[in-house]
Amino acid sequence: MEPQRKRRKGSACDTDSWVAYPVLSDEQSQDVELIEAFAAPIVDKKETSRLVRELNGLYPMITLQHIKRVRACKEEGSPHPLEVLVCLVSDAHGQEKMVSIDSLLPSDFRRDGLGEPFVVKVPARPPLTRPQFEIASKHWPLAFHEDKQVTVALKGELFSPLQKAKMHMYMTTALTAAKAGREGGMEAVGAVAVDPAMDRIIAVSHDCRGKHPLHHAVMVCIDLVARSQGGGCYSYDQYPACHFSSPSSNPFENTSEGEPAFQPYICTGYDLYVTREPCVMCAMALVHSRIGRVFYGTTSADGALGTKYKLHTQKDLNHRFEVYRGLLSKQCEDLNGLEDHFEKEHLKE
Amino acid sequence: MNCSFTDLEENTLIAKDALSNGEVPVGCLLVHQNQVIGRGRNQVNQSKNATRHAEMVAVDQLLDWCRHRNRDVRAVCERTALYVTVEPCVMCTAALRLLHVPVVVFGCRNERFGGCGSVLDVASADLPRTGTKFKVCEGHRSDEAIQMLKTFYKQENPNGDQTHTHTHTHTHTHCVHICVLCTFLFPHLFISLFLLPFFLHFDSFSLFFNRVPSFLCLSSFFLLFSFL
Ligand SMILES: [Zn+2]
Ligand SMILES: [Zn+2]
Repeated sequence: MEPQRKRRKGSACDTDSWVAYPVLSDEQSQDVELIEAFAAPIVDKKETSRLVRELNGLYPMITLQHIKRVRACKEEGSPHPLEVLVCLVSDAHGQEKMVSIDSLLPSDFRRDGLGEPFVVKVPARPPLTRPQFEIASKHWPLAFHEDKQVTVALKGELFSPLQKAKMHMYMTTALTAAKAGREGGMEAVGAVAVDPAMDRIIAVSHDCRGKHPLHHAVMVCIDLVARSQGGGCYSYDQYPACHFSSPSSNPFENTSEGEPAFQPYICTGYDLYVTREPCVMCAMALVHSRIGRVFYGTTSADGALGTKYKLHTQKDLNHRFEVYRGLLSKQCEDLNGLEDHFEKEHLKE
Repeated sequence: MNCSFTDLEENTLIAKDALSNGEVPVGCLLVHQNQVIGRGRNQVNQSKNATRHAEMVAVDQLLDWCRHRNRDVRAVCERTALYVTVEPCVMCTAALRLLHVPVVVFGCRNERFGGCGSVLDVASADLPRTGTKFKVCEGHRSDEAIQMLKTFYKQENPNGDQTHTHTHTHTHTHCVHICVLCTFLFPHLFISLFLLPFFLHFDSFSLFFNRVPSFLCLSSFFLLFSFL
């Protein structure tokens, strides 16, 4: 009774011990940028729709389509109920920040119902995430086209307990491979390629830098995936912890005649679990291989999926993918903990 | 064996071989002290491994070369130059850094994946744990490299999606411009300063490369003034 209870409790706690957070693009994760604009009180509410229409014609503010032109007045008991954006400070050429409404509007503009302008700060770009929206809307009301998945992911709640249990299992496999690599004198990094549609491990690898300086765990994993498809360039027979399984071992899939049911193409649709954030070479190798998603445990100093670069969100590249960090972060950190600490100290000197 | 124009022509031949095999026509040579110790062409389709770029194939040959001669890989790489028809991609650029290769000479730019300035500048980025930064010289025989890529993208690619390069005709750098200017003004200077290094020892070659652009720039200004 006692051991069983302990085990159940242990595994439940394990999946609760980590949270998978998305690694978002710079645009999605940066601070809200503000830009100065002139606003003016609408003292006569009946003039509102005319003023908005005519101001839109005069100062269209094309770059600020996400901003609402009118806002309800913030302070209670304010003499005017509404405020309207007149123009950007940069639109009013060479104006001081203390201006009169007359200097902002042409003489034929009917300024009935409009009060004297004042400077406000409005968000310069449309918000891409809920945190950005919440901060931005404190400055001026704005529209937000919410990506619900990003909102849930940012809260660390994207994956169900069942999904987390699977992710936990795959990362544990990567950790085991990493330890095997470390025992062989290599860096303690492990990787696992998974076909999420079949819930199946395609390849398991660890760092093999002993024989080849570029055989980082991810590069080995990519080559093992190629092996599983009848390609590949290297033999890792001397590393028993590096292995692959062919996705077409099902006899119904691999008929010699007729249409093949499904031909896997490089890493398309596969997930990669790796104990630490890939370097530039490995991250770009994953772009070339059309990886589906990447999950890593801990960040690395020169990492290219979040730390130094975000290759998975790079606009100029032809393939993008989702990246999540933090899986079994504690265990993954412990793998490299001592080395990293030593290297950091070394770099400081 | 000299690192002469025959070697550089061989580079083009390797790329042409890739073209006839349905791979992206990128050819490269690794030259260590006047000797070609690695050559490669794209093997992505053949290996079903999207990382089998010409540079990676050539690096494997370099490693074999070191293994057979019992030479230290890092020591060899530190005295090796890469000649490649197209700017190395981000992955290969990082790989060359990790190997501590000090000089890369390429023909045309790689606007889709280039790691030496086109998409990212990984060659000179501050990445203390990703090997050593390296020097880049671009524009060498770029017209031929571009022509081959154009041929490649015109012909039907039997393996569908193929990813390596996309080129712009605007590939000549100021380095090449200055060289052209110099040839125009004073051919002997061009021959002695730009061509000669290729026939010399690699060490002197790299030494020259550090100085050639500024040297040529100064010389061309000097010549311009003397003409006026
Ligand atoms: Zn790597
Ligand atoms: Zn490459």
